[in-house]
Amino acid sequence: MNIYKYASPASFYPVAGKLIPWFAIPAALLFATGFFIGFFIAPTDFQQGDAYRIIFIHVPAAWMGMLLYMLMAFYAGIGWAFNARLSSMMASSIAITGAMFTAISLITGALWGKPTWGTWWVWDARMTSTLILLFLYIGFISLQAAIDDPRRADRAGAVLALVGVINVPIIYFSVQWWNTLHQGATIRLLQKPTIRGSMLAALLIMLAACWLYSVAAVLIRLRCIILEREQNASRFAEVGV
Amino acid sequence: MNWPDLSMGGYGFYVWGSYLVSLIAIVWEVVSLRQRKKALTQQQQSSKSVSAPVLRGSINETTS
Repeated sequence: MNIYKYASPASFYPVAGKLIPWFAIPAALLFATGFFIGFFIAPTDFQQGDAYRIIFIHVPAAWMGMLLYMLMAFYAGIGWAFNARLSSMMASSIAITGAMFTAISLITGALWGKPTWGTWWVWDARMTSTLILLFLYIGFISLQAAIDDPRRADRAGAVLALVGVINVPIIYFSVQWWNTLHQGATIRLLQKPTIRGSMLAALLIMLAACWLYSVAAVLIRLRCIILEREQNASRFAEVGV
Repeated sequence: MNWPDLSMGGYGFYVWGSYLVSLIAIVWEVVSLRQRKKALTQQQQSSKSVSAPVLRGSINETTS
């Protein structure tokens, strides 16, 4: 089997269509499971009371914001370097879902900050760098929207996305590098997590749900982008431009 | 299993507010994706019959 066959937008289109339900349906089931464990099984936190339950959406959303940004920059870079159209379209498709998750993490963070810190917002290193992440997404989306020629828009977007990657490690390590109001990481790769099993389970299930949801949303949007560009191209071809 | 205290120990506004905002964001994305897809299929159907010749005609008029 030649996998490169699927690197062309036209042949990837039906494949993407077949893949979507395999991500969308498990995403819905896992959202429900995560919510159930998070609210019906996980106990009340002894320090933060029930306010901590915001973690089950806040942390997965924040992770998705960062991960999707890196993925977007990766696809934009590949699309630019190898002139791969499908890869650039993937980057454009990821941007909106990534921006949405970043916005969710900022809003839920404010809603968590008010009762626990007494303030909606502070210009703390982690929050400021996350706000910059949202601006990078918005910049990428509006830059692409402002350029008519799709391939030029892809290249311009790739430069912006790749430069902005530097912000992701800044967000991730901000709670270690600077003395911030934001609490430290709850889960680290090499250490034991600082929360109970049921809380961790709810958090990881919600993260999986957000991942699956993102893949489904990105594939649906990718199909729209493929069709839109194809229609534009055929229109140009018809008039002989 | 235990039923959650709906007032969330006084944090109800913040906890439910967070989930409501997230739900609204996701529903917004799903709805806007559906509309985008719908607009495309409608465009595709109409371009087969009407819009393509119209476009060709209008360009010819301006260039000739």
